[in-house]
Amino acid sequence: MTITNVDLSSCDREQVHLVGAIQPHGVLLVLAEPELRIVQASTNSADFLDVPCERLVGQCLDGLLGEENTAAIRTQLVKKELANATHLISVPFLSSQNGVVHISGNRINGLLLLEFELSAGTVEMIPAHAYSSRLQDMIQQLYGSAGLLSFLSVVVEQVRILTGFERVMIYRFDRDGSGMVIAEAKETNLEAYLGLHYPASDIPEPARRLFALSPLRHLPDVDYVPVPLFPDQSPLSDGSPVDLSHSFLRSVSVMYTSYLRNMGVKATLVMPLLKSDKLWGLISCMHHSEPKYLAYEQRFPVELLSRMISLRIGDLENLDHYAYRTQLIQAYCQLIGEMGRAKNYHDVLFGSKINLLNGINADGAALLENGKVTLLGITPTAYQVGLLAEWLAQQKDAVLVTHCLSYNFQAAGEFSAVASGLLAIRISRVNLTWVMWFRPEVLSETHWAGDPKKPVIIDDEDQESRLQPRTSFALWKETVRGYSEPWLDCEIEHVRKMRQSLHDILIEQTCQLIRLNTELELSNQALNNFVYAASHDLKEPLRGIHNYAELLRLEEGEHLSGQGHQRIETILCLTERMHHFLEALLEYSHLDYIEQDFQIYSITLLVEEIVDMLKKTNPNESITVDIQPAMPDILCNSTFVKVIFQNLIMNAIKYNAEAVKTIKIGCYTTNGMPVFFVQDNGIGISSEFHEYIFQPFKRLHGHKEYGGGSGVGLALTQKAITQHGGRIWIESGEGKGSTFCFTLTPEHVEEGGE
Amino acid sequence: MRPLMIVEDSDEDFEVICWALQKTGFAHPVIRSERAEEALSRLFPGMSQLDRIDPLPCLMLLDLNLPGMNGLQMLEELQQMKQKLSTPIVILSTSDNPLDIAACYRFGAAGYIVKPFKLEQYIEKIRDLTRYWFNTITLPEEKCDE
Repeated sequence: MTITNVDLSSCDREQVHLVGAIQPHGVLLVLAEPELRIVQASTNSADFLDVPCERLVGQCLDGLLGEENTAAIRTQLVKKELANATHLISVPFLSSQNGVVHISGNRINGLLLLEFELSAGTVEMIPAHAYSSRLQDMIQQLYGSAGLLSFLSVVVEQVRILTGFERVMIYRFDRDGSGMVIAEAKETNLEAYLGLHYPASDIPEPARRLFALSPLRHLPDVDYVPVPLFPDQSPLSDGSPVDLSHSFLRSVSVMYTSYLRNMGVKATLVMPLLKSDKLWGLISCMHHSEPKYLAYEQRFPVELLSRMISLRIGDLENLDHYAYRTQLIQAYCQLIGEMGRAKNYHDVLFGSKINLLNGINADGAALLENGKVTLLGITPTAYQVGLLAEWLAQQKDAVLVTHCLSYNFQAAGEFSAVASGLLAIRISRVNLTWVMWFRPEVLSETHWAGDPKKPVIIDDEDQESRLQPRTSFALWKETVRGYSEPWLDCEIEHVRKMRQSLHDILIEQTCQLIRLNTELELSNQALNNFVYAASHDLKEPLRGIHNYAELLRLEEGEHLSGQGHQRIETILCLTERMHHFLEALLEYSHLDYIEQDFQIYSITLLVEEIVDMLKKTNPNESITVDIQPAMPDILCNSTFVKVIFQNLIMNAIKYNAEAVKTIKIGCYTTNGMPVFFVQDNGIGISSEFHEYIFQPFKRLHGHKEYGGGSGVGLALTQKAITQHGGRIWIESGEGKGSTFCFTLTPEHVEEGGE
Repeated sequence: MRPLMIVEDSDEDFEVICWALQKTGFAHPVIRSERAEEALSRLFPGMSQLDRIDPLPCLMLLDLNLPGMNGLQMLEELQQMKQKLSTPIVILSTSDNPLDIAACYRFGAAGYIVKPFKLEQYIEKIRDLTRYWFNTITLPEEKCDE
């Protein structure tokens, strides 16, 4: 290995489980089933079993243990699966050493691995009554603790008493594999590790995997001399070494032993803490003054204890946040209850009393719906939330949790002060609906055990470079930026529940909307049919009245007084006006019967056509029309567009007292959307009337002024524009001329604000 | 002289048409049916006890909006009959609905007049109508019918 290609993460690839050697505190035999023939043996067999390994290999097990013991083992082999190392039997007086031998076994790659460990008679056995009283005491203390940390501090103290190790600590893994010492019990003269962080490379992935596999790992002496297996050629047909993953005696990585040596550790005992079958942390026991071997009998209770603790971790973590969890559940129930009552869930999420921030420890929240951003509390700006949403849209998960957003999404560095923490839930993929909660950056100091950026050093004393773990574990302080307080499991659970409920509500609302829409369409149609029929039927009698009045005038005119004549004239005038009303009403309701035929039309051509027609029908007026030459081609309904321009231009001519009536027609672009306008030099409309002018039959002038319209022109115009999803507005003042502006496409409004 | 038949339920409208015809100096006799059913049975007496119109009308003015069978249905009825009438039918209606107009022509109407609101315009249209059907056009002789 040269200096240039040294890979600092090579530790992650070291195949710790395939090292073909064991530690010297026991003997390993590899056997072929079913005859239980020994195919490989550790070279230290003579020390424990009085038989050199060369003589063991090729022999069957009964030759070593005798028929009775072998039969007992065979019984166990049938009963047990042996995926993990399992204690099989304990055999007394097997060798000249005069102790009990504990035999455990596991099966791997079709081979049986038996491990022999001596329990020397010198091991001090605690009397049963003393032991049970100590156990009782311990259980009492454990149950007396209120939260996880106090529980774990009892654990480390008890484990230290049980094992006699000088230092016992609990090490908790973070999501990224780095870790921190969260509980420690130690001899007073030792330096404290409590609160220190360790980079992920200190316990690399293969080591974490091995720790999770076995309930206990023991290294009695870091300076042990590894014991090879005999013969060194593997019994496996492919020549690969026997996998010792599950073997208690497995030799450890040189990186690990050098690491421990650098820390001044002579012996270790490590037990995994699992939460829901996942590695949560470790109970790590260290001995600093001398090697320390813990025999099977002494290890057994500690192993049980660690298993028991694993079972309690989840509960205790929950207990830690009990009050907070209750608060979250209450907030959730309130929100959901309120949403059940409200018409619009949006209003509930952003209510003044009940809202998205209720109960949860977050400073800000946001809802993104159809491109619209609504903000609550302390948040990034609407624009920044929009950017965030674009990034979220690329994520495949429906729930996104991070407490260091800018490390995942660089652009978020801009607003990491308010949003280093982000909890985001996707409500709908179709219209990109996300709800987000924000947490501010918390500037904190992390205390590392040594420089985390240099977890290893490269030692090139020899020609070859070798990776070495770091030698300095001196306190290394780092100011951490871009991090918020991490999100708790209960918070994530809270927003997951919110997501489900909002999702359900959305589906429910969509169904309701579809139903309402259908009903509305039907009732709209019924109303229109009614209007059409009614105005049609009203026309007939009206014609009768009008015609009779006319007949009266023509036939009996000479018999009438001047006043009688006047009255007849009034009847004719009124019936005529009513006729115009009915015509307008018919035209207004008739717009709904026009086919919804949308095509691309040249607005310029449509406008020119209408202007020609209007000039012909108003030959006596002096009209100048200025049409902007290149108006865009638009997807529209030509009938509607003609209605729009015809009415607007007609109004521009009609409500105009100038000698030369000047009309300007054109288009400009706002937010990428064309806005059309019809501008005149007419009488203008005072701003107080602007909100009424689009109502049907609303007139601002008398029936005899300005040609007396029906009051339906602008209502028709608006209706035709609405059919396109556009809107119309007016810019005008009295005597200043009017400009009517309108769009023919639906708008996407970006709403901001607090 | 063969009569002009007017199918019109409204007395006022009938009166106004007659008045307008009179103004234009129309000389043919005018007969009226108030309902489409009545008009049909008088044109085809085999269907009822009513007297057959004799001679048959030379032109028919038909209102669309009638009680019972409406004008359009009457056109449809006539079209489906084996025995075909040679009398042209001109529709006289307040409706300017393009769908109504198209349907009438499809069922054999010879013309369609939208009744104007103003009386003078009405007279003008009736004048045009009589000039066309009685001066310009040659209507079939009665003996050629059946």
